[in-house]
Amino acid sequence: MPQLEVRNLTKRYGKTVAVDDLSFSVEAGQVTGFLGPNGAGKTTTMRALLGLIRPTSGEAMVEGRPPAEMAEPLRTVGAALEATAFHPGRSGRNHLRVLAASAGIPASRIEEVLEMVELSGSASRRVGGYSLGMRQRLALAAALLGEPRILILDEPANGLDPQGMRWLRDLLRGQAAAGRTVLVSSHLLSEVAQTADELIVIRNGKLIAKASLDEFTSGEASQLRVRCSDPARLAEALPGRGASVARDGDAALLVSGSGSGGEAIGELALELGIAIHELTPLRSNLEERFLELTGEEAVG
Amino acid sequence: MRLLRSESIKLLSVRTTWLMLGIGLLVEALFAGLYVGLVSLDDVGPVREVQTSVGLLMVMLLVLGVLSITTEFRHGTASTTFLASPKRYPVLVAKLGAMLAIGLLTGLAFVAVNGGLALPLFSSRGESLPPAGEIVRVYAGVVASFALLCAFGLGVGAIVRNQVGAIIAAIAFFFVLSPLPELLPGDIGDYFPAQAIGSLHGLPDATEEGLGQVAGGVVLAAWSLALWLIGTVLIGHRDLNE
Repeated sequence: MPQLEVRNLTKRYGKTVAVDDLSFSVEAGQVTGFLGPNGAGKTTTMRALLGLIRPTSGEAMVEGRPPAEMAEPLRTVGAALEATAFHPGRSGRNHLRVLAASAGIPASRIEEVLEMVELSGSASRRVGGYSLGMRQRLALAAALLGEPRILILDEPANGLDPQGMRWLRDLLRGQAAAGRTVLVSSHLLSEVAQTADELIVIRNGKLIAKASLDEFTSGEASQLRVRCSDPARLAEALPGRGASVARDGDAALLVSGSGSGGEAIGELALELGIAIHELTPLRSNLEERFLELTGEEAVG
Repeated sequence: MRLLRSESIKLLSVRTTWLMLGIGLLVEALFAGLYVGLVSLDDVGPVREVQTSVGLLMVMLLVLGVLSITTEFRHGTASTTFLASPKRYPVLVAKLGAMLAIGLLTGLAFVAVNGGLALPLFSSRGESLPPAGEIVRVYAGVVASFALLCAFGLGVGAIVRNQVGAIIAAIAFFFVLSPLPELLPGDIGDYFPAQAIGSLHGLPDATEEGLGQVAGGVVLAAWSLALWLIGTVLIGHRDLNE
Protein backbone atom coordinates (compact mmCIF):
# COMPACT_ATOMS: atom_id res chain seq x y z
CA MET A 1 0.00 0.00 0.00
CA PRO A 2 1.42 3.43 -0.90
CA GLN A 3 1.93 5.65 2.14
CA LEU A 4 0.66 8.72 0.33
CA GLU A 5 -1.57 8.71 -2.68
CA VAL A 6 -3.49 11.23 -4.73
CA ARG A 7 -6.04 9.96 -7.20
CA ASN A 8 -7.36 12.25 -9.92
CA LEU A 9 -6.94 15.15 -7.56
CA THR A 10 -8.39 18.41 -8.82
CA LYS A 11 -8.57 21.67 -6.91
CA ARG A 12 -10.14 24.81 -8.34
CA TYR A 13 -10.20 28.24 -6.77
CA GLY A 14 -12.92 29.99 -8.71
CA LYS A 15 -11.76 29.79 -12.31
CA THR A 16 -8.16 29.05 -11.42
CA VAL A 17 -7.20 25.39 -11.56
CA ALA A 18 -4.47 24.84 -9.00
CA VAL A 19 -4.28 21.06 -9.34
CA ASP A 20 -5.55 19.33 -12.44
CA ASP A 21 -6.44 15.61 -12.36
CA LEU A 22 -3.21 14.72 -10.60
CA SER A 23 -2.42 11.12 -9.64
CA PHE A 24 0.69 9.70 -8.02
CA SER A 25 1.74 7.65 -5.05
CA VAL A 26 4.64 7.85 -2.64
CA GLU A 27 6.30 4.80 -1.11
CA ALA A 28 8.03 4.27 2.20
CA GLY A 29 11.78 3.98 2.68
CA GLN A 30 12.83 6.61 0.21
CA VAL A 31 12.97 10.34 -0.25
CA THR A 32 10.56 11.53 -2.91
CA GLY A 33 11.27 14.93 -4.42
CA PHE A 34 8.22 16.94 -5.42
CA LEU A 35 9.36 19.36 -8.07
CA GLY A 36 7.81 22.11 -10.06
CA PRO A 37 8.13 25.82 -10.67
CA ASN A 38 6.50 28.22 -8.24
CA GLY A 39 2.74 28.09 -8.59
CA ALA A 40 2.74 24.57 -10.04
CA GLY A 41 0.37 23.28 -7.36
CA LYS A 42 2.85 21.61 -5.00
CA THR A 43 1.60 23.33 -1.86
CA THR A 44 -2.05 22.78 -2.78
CA THR A 45 -1.38 19.06 -3.30
CA MET A 46 0.41 18.81 0.04
CA ARG A 47 -2.38 20.65 1.83
CA ALA A 48 -4.91 18.27 0.32
CA LEU A 49 -2.84 15.31 1.57
CA LEU A 50 -2.93 16.86 5.04
CA GLY A 51 -6.69 17.41 5.00
CA LEU A 52 -6.31 21.19 5.18
CA ILE A 53 -8.10 21.81 1.90
CA ARG A 54 -10.91 19.89 0.29
CA PRO A 55 -10.33 18.55 -3.20
CA THR A 56 -12.80 19.81 -5.79
CA SER A 57 -12.74 16.23 -7.03
CA GLY A 58 -10.57 13.18 -6.60
CA GLU A 59 -8.94 11.93 -3.43
CA ALA A 60 -5.89 12.43 -1.29
CA MET A 61 -5.05 9.51 0.98
CA VAL A 62 -2.70 8.89 3.86
CA GLU A 63 -1.94 5.23 4.52
CA GLY A 64 -4.96 4.39 2.38
CA ARG A 65 -7.41 6.58 4.26
CA PRO A 66 -8.61 10.18 4.02
CA PRO A 67 -6.43 12.44 6.19
CA ALA A 68 -9.33 13.39 8.47
CA GLU A 69 -9.56 9.76 9.58
CA MET A 70 -6.03 9.49 10.93
CA ALA A 71 -6.16 7.97 14.38
CA GLU A 72 -3.03 9.62 15.71
CA PRO A 73 -2.33 12.51 13.35
CA LEU A 74 1.00 13.76 14.68
CA ARG A 75 2.37 10.23 15.00
CA THR A 76 1.27 9.43 11.44
CA VAL A 77 2.25 12.53 9.50
CA GLY A 78 4.65 15.30 10.40
CA ALA A 79 4.51 18.34 8.19
CA ALA A 80 6.42 21.57 7.78
CA LEU A 81 4.46 23.84 5.50
CA GLU A 82 5.51 27.42 5.87
CA ALA A 83 8.48 28.69 7.77
CA THR A 84 6.60 31.80 8.79
CA ALA A 85 3.62 30.11 10.41
CA PHE A 86 4.33 30.89 14.05
CA HIS A 87 2.86 33.28 16.55
CA PRO A 88 5.68 35.83 16.81
CA GLY A 89 5.06 36.34 20.52
CA ARG A 90 5.36 32.69 21.49
CA SER A 91 8.70 31.07 22.22
CA GLY A 92 9.94 28.19 20.10
CA ARG A 93 9.59 25.79 23.00
CA ASN A 94 6.04 26.91 23.74
CA HIS A 95 5.11 26.43 20.10
CA LEU A 96 6.18 22.81 20.45
CA ARG A 97 4.46 22.51 23.85
CA VAL A 98 1.15 23.50 22.25
CA LEU A 99 1.57 20.74 19.67
CA ALA A 100 2.85 18.17 22.11
CA ALA A 101 -0.06 18.76 24.46
CA SER A 102 -2.59 18.15 21.69
CA ALA A 103 -1.12 14.73 20.96
CA GLY A 104 -0.09 13.68 24.46
CA ILE A 105 3.60 13.78 23.58
CA PRO A 106 5.88 13.97 26.65
CA ALA A 107 7.90 17.10 27.36
CA SER A 108 11.17 15.16 27.07
CA ARG A 109 10.50 14.70 23.37
CA ILE A 110 10.33 18.49 22.94
CA GLU A 111 13.88 18.83 24.24
CA GLU A 112 14.93 15.95 21.99
CA VAL A 113 13.70 17.55 18.79
CA LEU A 114 15.05 20.96 19.84
CA GLU A 115 18.42 19.27 20.24
CA MET A 116 18.06 17.60 16.82
CA VAL A 117 17.46 20.88 15.02
CA GLU A 118 20.05 22.68 17.14
CA LEU A 119 17.62 25.18 18.60
CA SER A 120 17.98 24.27 22.29
CA GLY A 121 19.83 27.51 23.03
CA SER A 122 17.18 29.74 21.45
CA ALA A 123 14.08 27.78 22.47
CA SER A 124 13.05 30.22 25.20
CA ARG A 125 13.21 33.23 22.91
CA ARG A 126 10.15 34.55 21.11
CA VAL A 127 9.87 33.33 17.53
CA GLY A 128 9.46 36.91 16.30
CA GLY A 129 13.20 37.34 16.74
CA TYR A 130 14.18 34.17 14.85
CA SER A 131 15.96 34.21 11.50
CA LEU A 132 14.34 32.47 8.54
CA GLY A 133 16.73 29.55 8.99
CA MET A 134 15.77 29.19 12.64
CA ARG A 135 12.06 29.25 11.80
CA GLN A 136 12.69 26.63 9.17
CA ARG A 137 14.37 24.43 11.77
CA LEU A 138 11.59 25.02 14.28
CA ALA A 139 9.08 23.96 11.62
CA LEU A 140 11.12 20.79 11.13
CA ALA A 141 11.21 20.20 14.88
CA ALA A 142 7.41 20.45 14.91
CA ALA A 143 7.20 17.96 12.04
CA LEU A 144 9.48 15.48 13.83
CA LEU A 145 7.80 15.89 17.21
CA GLY A 146 5.48 12.87 17.00
CA GLU A 147 8.12 10.59 15.43
CA PRO A 148 5.78 10.27 12.44
CA ARG A 149 5.89 7.51 9.85
CA ILE A 150 5.47 10.07 7.08
CA LEU A 151 7.11 13.46 6.60
CA ILE A 152 5.66 16.10 4.28
CA LEU A 153 7.95 19.09 3.90
CA ASP A 154 7.19 22.09 1.73
CA GLU A 155 10.35 23.86 0.57
CA PRO A 156 12.23 23.01 3.78
CA ALA A 157 15.54 24.27 2.41
CA ASN A 158 14.40 27.88 2.00
CA GLY A 159 16.48 30.09 4.20
CA LEU A 160 18.95 27.41 5.26
CA ASP A 161 22.65 28.10 4.92
CA PRO A 162 24.87 25.52 3.14
CA GLN A 163 25.60 23.86 6.46
CA GLY A 164 21.89 23.68 7.22
CA MET A 165 21.22 22.21 3.78
CA ARG A 166 23.71 19.43 4.39
CA TRP A 167 22.18 18.80 7.81
CA LEU A 168 18.73 18.64 6.21
CA ARG A 169 19.93 16.18 3.56
CA ASP A 170 21.41 13.91 6.20
CA LEU A 171 18.22 14.12 8.23
CA LEU A 172 16.00 13.21 5.29
CA ARG A 173 18.29 10.37 4.21
CA GLY A 174 18.29 9.08 7.77
CA GLN A 175 14.50 9.16 7.98
CA ALA A 176 14.17 7.29 4.68
CA ALA A 177 16.79 4.75 5.73
CA ALA A 178 14.73 4.09 8.87
CA GLY A 179 11.85 3.06 6.60
CA ARG A 180 9.89 6.26 6.80
CA THR A 181 8.19 8.07 3.96
CA VAL A 182 9.57 11.45 2.99
CA LEU A 183 7.90 13.80 0.52
CA VAL A 184 9.82 17.00 0.06
CA SER A 185 8.96 19.77 -2.38
CA SER A 186 11.23 22.25 -4.03
CA HIS A 187 11.35 24.57 -6.99
CA LEU A 188 15.10 24.13 -7.07
CA LEU A 189 16.23 20.92 -8.66
CA SER A 190 19.73 21.10 -7.22
CA GLU A 191 18.36 20.93 -3.66
CA VAL A 192 16.50 17.73 -4.30
CA ALA A 193 18.92 16.05 -6.69
CA GLN A 194 21.38 15.10 -3.96
CA THR A 195 18.71 13.73 -1.64
CA ALA A 196 15.84 12.21 -3.57
CA ASP A 197 15.52 8.66 -4.80
CA GLU A 198 12.35 9.35 -6.71
CA LEU A 199 11.16 12.49 -8.44
CA ILE A 200 7.67 13.73 -9.14
CA VAL A 201 7.56 16.74 -11.43
CA ILE A 202 4.42 18.79 -11.89
CA ARG A 203 3.59 21.91 -13.80
CA ASN A 204 0.34 23.85 -13.97
CA GLY A 205 -1.16 21.31 -11.61
CA LYS A 206 -0.48 18.40 -13.95
CA LEU A 207 1.90 15.50 -13.59
CA ILE A 208 4.81 15.87 -15.99
CA ALA A 209 7.10 13.09 -14.89
CA LYS A 210 7.51 10.49 -12.19
CA ALA A 211 10.74 8.56 -12.26
CA SER A 212 13.66 7.51 -10.17
CA LEU A 213 16.61 9.86 -10.02
CA ASP A 214 18.68 7.36 -12.04
CA GLU A 215 16.16 7.42 -14.83
CA PHE A 216 16.28 11.17 -14.80
CA THR A 217 19.95 11.59 -15.19
CA SER A 218 22.72 9.84 -17.02
CA GLY A 219 25.21 11.69 -14.92
CA GLU A 220 26.99 13.45 -17.78
CA ALA A 221 26.95 17.19 -18.09
CA SER A 222 25.37 18.49 -21.24
CA GLN A 223 27.13 21.82 -21.45
CA LEU A 224 30.70 22.74 -20.68
CA ARG A 225 32.55 25.98 -20.48
CA VAL A 226 35.99 25.79 -22.07
CA ARG A 227 38.81 28.26 -21.75
CA CYS A 228 41.90 27.56 -23.75
CA SER A 229 44.96 29.10 -25.41
CA ASP A 230 43.28 29.42 -28.81
CA PRO A 231 39.50 29.57 -28.53
CA ALA A 232 38.95 30.61 -32.15
CA ARG A 233 40.69 27.53 -33.60
CA LEU A 234 39.02 25.16 -31.13
CA ALA A 235 35.62 26.69 -31.94
CA GLU A 236 36.25 26.01 -35.61
CA ALA A 237 37.26 22.40 -35.09
CA LEU A 238 34.60 21.33 -32.57
CA PRO A 239 31.55 21.26 -34.90
CA GLY A 240 33.42 18.68 -36.99
CA ARG A 241 33.08 16.32 -34.00
CA GLY A 242 29.37 16.92 -33.66
CA ALA A 243 29.46 19.54 -30.91
CA SER A 244 27.82 22.93 -31.08
CA VAL A 245 29.76 25.91 -29.88
CA ALA A 246 28.88 29.35 -28.61
CA ARG A 247 31.24 32.12 -27.50
CA ASP A 248 31.16 33.06 -23.84
CA GLY A 249 32.96 36.37 -23.81
CA ASP A 250 36.36 36.63 -25.56
CA ALA A 251 38.24 33.85 -23.90
CA ALA A 252 35.67 31.11 -23.26
CA LEU A 253 33.47 28.75 -25.27
CA LEU A 254 30.21 27.06 -24.36
CA VAL A 255 30.16 23.58 -25.82
CA SER A 256 27.14 21.33 -25.98
CA GLY A 257 25.63 18.53 -28.04
CA SER A 258 27.14 15.14 -28.89
CA GLY A 259 30.91 14.97 -28.83
CA SER A 260 30.95 17.65 -26.17
CA GLY A 261 32.22 15.49 -23.31
CA GLY A 262 35.32 16.57 -21.47
CA GLU A 263 37.26 13.66 -22.92
CA ALA A 264 36.38 14.48 -26.54
CA ILE A 265 37.23 18.15 -26.12
CA GLY A 266 40.51 17.41 -24.38
CA GLU A 267 41.67 14.98 -27.06
CA LEU A 268 40.76 17.39 -29.85
CA ALA A 269 42.68 20.16 -28.14
CA LEU A 270 45.73 17.89 -27.79
CA GLU A 271 45.60 17.09 -31.52
CA LEU A 272 45.50 20.77 -32.33
CA GLY A 273 48.18 21.65 -29.81
CA ILE A 274 45.88 23.88 -27.80
CA ALA A 275 46.24 24.13 -24.04
CA ILE A 276 43.04 23.75 -22.01
CA HIS A 277 42.80 26.23 -19.14
CA GLU A 278 39.38 25.43 -17.84
CA LEU A 279 36.74 22.77 -18.42
CA THR A 280 33.60 23.35 -16.35
CA PRO A 281 30.37 21.38 -16.60
CA LEU A 282 27.57 23.97 -16.49
CA ARG A 283 24.35 22.08 -16.63
CA SER A 284 23.65 18.48 -15.89
CA ASN A 285 21.27 16.46 -17.97
CA LEU A 286 18.98 16.39 -14.99
CA GLU A 287 18.70 20.13 -14.81
CA GLU A 288 18.25 20.29 -18.57
CA ARG A 289 15.47 17.72 -18.32
CA PHE A 290 13.82 19.62 -15.51
CA LEU A 291 13.91 22.90 -17.39
CA GLU A 292 12.62 21.16 -20.46
CA LEU A 293 9.82 19.46 -18.55
CA THR A 294 8.70 22.48 -16.64
CA GLY A 295 9.33 24.94 -19.42
CA GLU A 296 11.05 27.26 -17.03
CA GLU A 297 13.92 29.22 -18.41
CA ALA A 298 15.46 30.34 -15.20
CA VAL A 299 14.79 28.28 -12.11
CA GLY A 300 15.39 29.87 -8.76
CA MET B 1 -8.84 17.06 27.26
CA ARG B 2 -5.52 17.13 25.38
CA LEU B 3 -6.83 19.79 23.05
CA LEU B 4 -8.04 21.86 25.99
CA ARG B 5 -4.55 21.70 27.48
CA SER B 6 -3.10 22.68 24.12
CA GLU B 7 -5.46 25.65 23.86
CA SER B 8 -4.66 26.76 27.40
CA ILE B 9 -0.92 26.74 26.66
CA LYS B 10 -1.61 28.78 23.52
CA LEU B 11 -3.50 31.35 25.52
CA LEU B 12 -1.06 31.61 28.41
CA SER B 13 2.17 31.50 26.40
CA VAL B 14 1.73 34.91 24.77
CA ARG B 15 2.18 38.23 26.49
CA THR B 16 -0.96 39.70 24.94
CA THR B 17 -3.19 37.69 27.26
CA TRP B 18 -1.34 38.72 30.42
CA LEU B 19 -1.04 42.35 29.34
CA MET B 20 -4.71 42.71 28.48
CA LEU B 21 -5.97 41.08 31.64
CA GLY B 22 -3.33 42.80 33.79
CA ILE B 23 -4.21 46.24 32.48
CA GLY B 24 -7.92 45.47 32.79
CA LEU B 25 -7.57 44.46 36.43
CA LEU B 26 -5.29 47.39 37.24
CA VAL B 27 -7.75 49.88 35.80
CA GLU B 28 -10.51 48.09 37.67
CA ALA B 29 -8.65 48.55 40.96
CA LEU B 30 -8.07 52.21 40.18
CA PHE B 31 -11.70 52.92 39.34
CA ALA B 32 -13.05 50.89 42.23
CA GLY B 33 -10.75 52.67 44.66
CA LEU B 34 -11.62 56.09 43.31
CA TYR B 35 -15.33 55.39 43.31
CA VAL B 36 -15.37 53.97 46.79
CA GLY B 37 -13.52 57.06 47.98
CA LEU B 38 -16.12 59.37 46.48
CA VAL B 39 -19.48 57.84 47.18
CA SER B 40 -21.33 56.02 49.85
CA LEU B 41 -22.56 52.51 49.19
CA ASP B 42 -25.91 53.33 50.74
CA ASP B 43 -26.52 55.84 47.94
CA VAL B 44 -25.46 53.76 44.97
CA GLY B 45 -25.91 50.10 45.88
CA PRO B 46 -23.52 47.27 45.03
CA VAL B 47 -24.56 46.96 41.38
CA ARG B 48 -23.57 50.54 40.50
CA GLU B 49 -20.38 50.20 42.45
CA VAL B 50 -19.36 47.16 40.42
CA GLN B 51 -20.44 48.73 37.13
CA THR B 52 -17.98 51.61 37.37
CA SER B 53 -14.96 49.35 37.10
CA VAL B 54 -16.24 46.54 34.89
CA GLY B 55 -16.15 48.29 31.50
CA LEU B 56 -12.57 47.95 30.31
CA LEU B 57 -12.37 44.28 31.29
CA MET B 58 -15.53 43.62 29.31
CA VAL B 59 -13.88 45.01 26.17
CA MET B 60 -10.62 43.18 26.91
CA LEU B 61 -12.33 39.81 27.31
CA LEU B 62 -14.40 40.27 24.18
CA VAL B 63 -11.22 41.05 22.22
CA LEU B 64 -9.36 38.17 23.88
CA GLY B 65 -12.07 35.84 22.64
CA VAL B 66 -11.72 37.21 19.12
CA LEU B 67 -7.92 36.89 19.22
CA SER B 68 -8.05 33.29 20.43
CA ILE B 69 -9.02 32.24 16.91
CA THR B 70 -8.04 35.10 14.58
CA THR B 71 -4.34 34.95 15.55
CA GLU B 72 -4.31 31.39 14.22
CA PHE B 73 -5.25 32.66 10.79
CA ARG B 74 -3.19 35.82 11.00
CA HIS B 75 0.01 33.98 11.84
CA GLY B 76 -0.72 30.78 9.96
CA THR B 77 -0.78 28.54 13.02
CA ALA B 78 -4.24 27.30 12.01
CA SER B 79 -2.61 24.78 9.68
CA THR B 80 -0.46 23.40 12.48
CA THR B 81 -3.44 23.27 14.82
CA PHE B 82 -5.58 21.36 12.34
CA LEU B 83 -2.71 19.05 11.42
CA ALA B 84 -2.64 17.95 15.01
CA SER B 85 -6.41 17.55 14.93
CA PRO B 86 -7.67 17.07 11.37
CA LYS B 87 -11.22 16.87 12.71
CA ARG B 88 -11.90 20.52 13.26
CA TYR B 89 -14.86 20.81 15.58
CA PRO B 90 -13.04 19.32 18.62
CA VAL B 91 -10.54 22.19 18.32
CA LEU B 92 -13.39 24.69 18.45
CA VAL B 93 -14.89 22.87 21.44
CA ALA B 94 -11.52 23.09 23.19
CA LYS B 95 -11.24 26.78 22.36
CA LEU B 96 -14.71 27.38 23.78
CA GLY B 97 -13.73 25.53 26.95
CA ALA B 98 -10.51 27.50 27.29
CA MET B 99 -12.29 30.82 26.75
CA LEU B 100 -15.04 30.04 29.26
CA ALA B 101 -12.36 29.06 31.76
CA ILE B 102 -10.25 32.18 31.30
CA GLY B 103 -13.41 34.32 31.52
CA LEU B 104 -14.41 32.64 34.76
CA LEU B 105 -10.93 33.00 36.25
CA THR B 106 -10.76 36.65 35.24
CA GLY B 107 -14.18 37.11 36.80
CA LEU B 108 -12.92 35.61 40.05
CA ALA B 109 -9.88 37.90 39.93
CA PHE B 110 -12.23 40.83 39.41
CA VAL B 111 -14.26 39.79 42.44
CA ALA B 112 -11.10 39.45 44.53
CA VAL B 113 -9.88 42.92 43.56
CA ASN B 114 -13.25 44.62 43.85
CA GLY B 115 -14.34 42.82 46.99
CA GLY B 116 -10.90 43.20 48.54
CA LEU B 117 -10.93 46.93 47.95
CA ALA B 118 -14.49 48.10 48.28
CA LEU B 119 -16.00 45.99 51.04
CA PRO B 120 -13.36 46.72 53.74
CA LEU B 121 -13.36 50.43 52.80
CA PHE B 122 -17.10 50.72 53.07
CA SER B 123 -17.29 48.85 56.35
CA SER B 124 -14.33 50.81 57.80
CA ARG B 125 -16.40 53.94 57.19
CA GLY B 126 -19.15 52.35 59.20
CA GLU B 127 -21.50 51.83 56.25
CA SER B 128 -23.73 48.85 56.40
CA LEU B 129 -22.99 46.29 53.68
CA PRO B 130 -25.78 44.79 51.63
CA PRO B 131 -26.84 41.27 52.60
CA ALA B 132 -24.34 38.58 51.62
CA GLY B 133 -26.87 37.05 49.24
CA GLU B 134 -27.05 40.22 47.20
CA ILE B 135 -23.28 40.63 47.07
CA VAL B 136 -22.92 37.06 45.82
CA ARG B 137 -25.66 37.62 43.23
CA VAL B 138 -23.99 40.74 41.81
CA TYR B 139 -20.56 39.17 41.67
CA ALA B 140 -21.90 35.94 40.16
CA GLY B 141 -23.46 37.97 37.36
CA VAL B 142 -20.11 39.60 36.58
CA VAL B 143 -18.24 36.27 36.60
CA ALA B 144 -20.78 34.65 34.28
CA SER B 145 -20.80 37.65 31.94
CA PHE B 146 -17.00 37.53 31.62
CA ALA B 147 -17.06 33.90 30.53
CA LEU B 148 -19.85 34.57 28.04
CA LEU B 149 -18.05 37.62 26.60
CA CYS B 150 -15.00 35.45 25.82
CA ALA B 151 -17.25 32.93 24.09
CA PHE B 152 -19.01 35.72 22.18
CA GLY B 153 -15.65 37.02 20.91
CA LEU B 154 -14.58 33.52 19.88
CA GLY B 155 -17.78 33.12 17.87
CA VAL B 156 -17.33 36.43 16.03
CA GLY B 157 -13.64 35.65 15.38
CA ALA B 158 -14.47 32.21 13.97
CA ILE B 159 -16.98 33.75 11.57
CA VAL B 160 -14.98 36.79 10.44
CA ARG B 161 -11.42 35.32 10.69
CA ASN B 162 -9.73 38.57 9.70
CA GLN B 163 -8.25 39.91 12.93
CA VAL B 164 -8.87 43.64 12.60
CA GLY B 165 -12.24 43.08 10.97
CA ALA B 166 -13.32 40.69 13.71
CA ILE B 167 -12.25 42.99 16.55
CA ILE B 168 -14.12 45.91 15.01
CA ALA B 169 -17.16 43.74 14.27
CA ALA B 170 -17.30 42.35 17.81
CA ILE B 171 -16.91 45.72 19.57
CA ALA B 172 -19.21 47.57 17.18
CA PHE B 173 -21.92 44.96 17.42
CA PHE B 174 -21.75 44.42 21.15
CA PHE B 175 -21.27 47.94 22.42
CA VAL B 176 -22.60 50.16 19.64
CA LEU B 177 -25.28 48.38 17.62
CA SER B 178 -26.84 45.98 20.08
CA PRO B 179 -27.95 48.73 22.55
CA LEU B 180 -29.92 50.39 19.73
CA PRO B 181 -32.94 48.03 19.55
CA GLU B 182 -33.71 49.13 23.12
CA LEU B 183 -34.97 52.36 21.57
CA LEU B 184 -37.58 50.44 19.60
CA PRO B 185 -41.04 50.03 21.11
CA GLY B 186 -41.73 46.69 22.76
CA ASP B 187 -39.38 44.26 24.49
CA ILE B 188 -37.27 43.35 21.47
CA GLY B 189 -34.25 45.24 22.83
CA ASP B 190 -34.09 43.00 25.90
CA TYR B 191 -33.02 40.13 23.72
CA PHE B 192 -29.92 41.86 22.33
CA PRO B 193 -26.52 41.34 23.99
CA ALA B 194 -26.07 44.81 25.46
CA GLN B 195 -29.33 44.77 27.38
CA ALA B 196 -28.97 41.10 28.25
CA ILE B 197 -25.58 41.66 29.88
CA GLY B 198 -27.12 44.57 31.79
CA SER B 199 -29.77 42.23 33.13
CA LEU B 200 -27.13 39.64 33.99
CA HIS B 201 -25.18 42.28 35.91
CA GLY B 202 -28.38 43.16 37.76
CA LEU B 203 -28.63 46.73 36.51
CA PRO B 204 -31.93 48.14 37.82
CA ASP B 205 -33.04 49.72 34.53
CA ALA B 206 -32.32 46.47 32.73
CA THR B 207 -33.89 44.17 35.25
CA GLU B 208 -36.95 46.17 36.21
CA GLU B 209 -38.09 46.81 32.65
CA GLY B 210 -36.29 43.95 31.01
CA LEU B 211 -35.38 40.40 31.80
CA GLY B 212 -34.32 39.10 35.17
CA GLN B 213 -30.72 38.28 35.95
CA VAL B 214 -30.95 34.59 35.04
CA ALA B 215 -32.96 35.26 31.89
CA GLY B 216 -30.43 37.90 30.84
CA GLY B 217 -27.67 35.33 31.28
CA VAL B 218 -29.55 32.75 29.23
CA VAL B 219 -30.08 35.25 26.40
CA LEU B 220 -26.40 36.23 26.35
CA ALA B 221 -25.38 32.56 26.45
CA ALA B 222 -27.71 31.85 23.52
CA TRP B 223 -26.07 34.60 21.46
CA SER B 224 -22.57 33.35 22.26
CA LEU B 225 -23.46 29.74 21.54
CA ALA B 226 -25.19 30.60 18.26
CA LEU B 227 -22.22 32.62 17.01
CA TRP B 228 -19.82 29.86 18.08
CA LEU B 229 -21.92 27.26 16.26
CA ILE B 230 -21.98 29.27 13.04
CA GLY B 231 -18.24 29.88 13.29
CA THR B 232 -17.55 26.21 13.95
CA VAL B 233 -19.56 25.08 10.94
CA LEU B 234 -17.85 27.69 8.72
CA ILE B 235 -14.35 26.68 9.82
CA GLY B 236 -15.24 23.03 9.39
CA HIS B 237 -15.94 23.63 5.72
CA ARG B 238 -13.25 26.12 4.86
CA ASP B 239 -10.02 25.47 3.01
CA LEU B 240 -7.06 26.33 5.15
CA ASN B 241 -4.45 28.07 3.10
CA GLU B 242 -3.05 29.98 6.02
